[in-house]
Amino acid sequence: MRFLKLIIVLLFISVPLAASADKAKTIDDLAKMYDSSRCKDCHAEIYGQWEKSHHARPLMGVKGGLMLTPLAKKGETAFSPEDPKKATLKNFPCFKCHLPQAITSAEDSVAVELAEALIAGDKAKVGRLQITCIVCHSDKAIVHKRELGEPEKGVLYGAKNMDSHPDKIFTKVKKSAIMHDSIACGQCHGLGPNFEFDQAFQCANLYGSYLHNYISSGGTKSCQDCHMQKGDHLFALDWNDDKGASALLGKAISLEVETLGYEWLKKAKTYIPKVVVSTTITTTAGHRVPDG
Amino acid sequence: MVVTAKAADGKEIGKVEKHYHPQATNCRDTKMKYGAQWKVANLRDTSFQPMKPKKETIEFDLPEGVRAADVTVDLFYELGNPEQKYPIHTITKKVSLDR
Repeated sequence: MRFLKLIIVLLFISVPLAASADKAKTIDDLAKMYDSSRCKDCHAEIYGQWEKSHHARPLMGVKGGLMLTPLAKKGETAFSPEDPKKATLKNFPCFKCHLPQAITSAEDSVAVELAEALIAGDKAKVGRLQITCIVCHSDKAIVHKRELGEPEKGVLYGAKNMDSHPDKIFTKVKKSAIMHDSIACGQCHGLGPNFEFDQAFQCANLYGSYLHNYISSGGTKSCQDCHMQKGDHLFALDWNDDKGASALLGKAISLEVETLGYEWLKKAKTYIPKVVVSTTITTTAGHRVPDG
Repeated sequence: MVVTAKAADGKEIGKVEKHYHPQATNCRDTKMKYGAQWKVANLRDTSFQPMKPKKETIEFDLPEGVRAADVTVDLFYELGNPEQKYPIHTITKKVSLDR
């Protein structure tokens, strides 16, 4: 009987230990766990596009702005820890979209290291945390988990089935049900306030705007139709590219200006010279501009 | 968007700014917030919406003796703060009251 009790106790202790042993304890661990650099051996063009994208720098803001820094500083936000050394994953609700692999695959020690790196302005360390190929093509590839199950280990999800995929870890590719649909992007690009947290907050609303303004107005294009033309993984627009961003905004947003000059008769014998400017701004985007 | 009217001598007759963006608070006070860590919900949205052209009519009364104006409409995107400015379109038109 004593032996049986001992076995049960050991089981209770060892199961959580085994689970935590699989999780990343450091930023380097997490970066290695989700490292996609070997993808460029065969997908060089796509990898090159991704490297320049905001997905490759989800915690860096625009032009290295380290936008999560307030979350690491005591008292700056409702989520900030008392002390960066006491930070946990819960202090970074932004991980929901900016680093979803942290929620599933990181220990709280990663949050401590990130909080300290943010306060120290260590861009090299923060920059190691990326939304890599594995995040979208595995972790986020299935939204029908009750029917289709969790993403399988060793399987990537893409446009078509491949029984053999020349990679040491992801040896197979399965066709994703959603990879060409806006819902794949919508998982992270926002419906509105995030109510699942104990302190609601709101980031991007793009997917909400797409559903409730674009689709409801008869729009038929997907996010991928515009932002991933010919499979482009830059997911333009790139805010770090001033000229490119301006050019793309200029293409998507048109401005028409009409003017009229006349003398308005306000009252008898009182003419007021007046200039009237009429502007019309039209966007071809499938969501509000700007958003977030 | 900034609409500016200037007289022939370059003197500014008038300037009107229009801001197009969703505006959110923390739902605990009435102050608008920037940054997802502080925002809770939009309470006003003046942004450009799909398939809904945004039209404005702006009027400038000309000073006495001024019969013409150069009107410039400058449309740009401010990301985060006014220093992060991305020009989109600039259109200038001459308007005269004389035939």
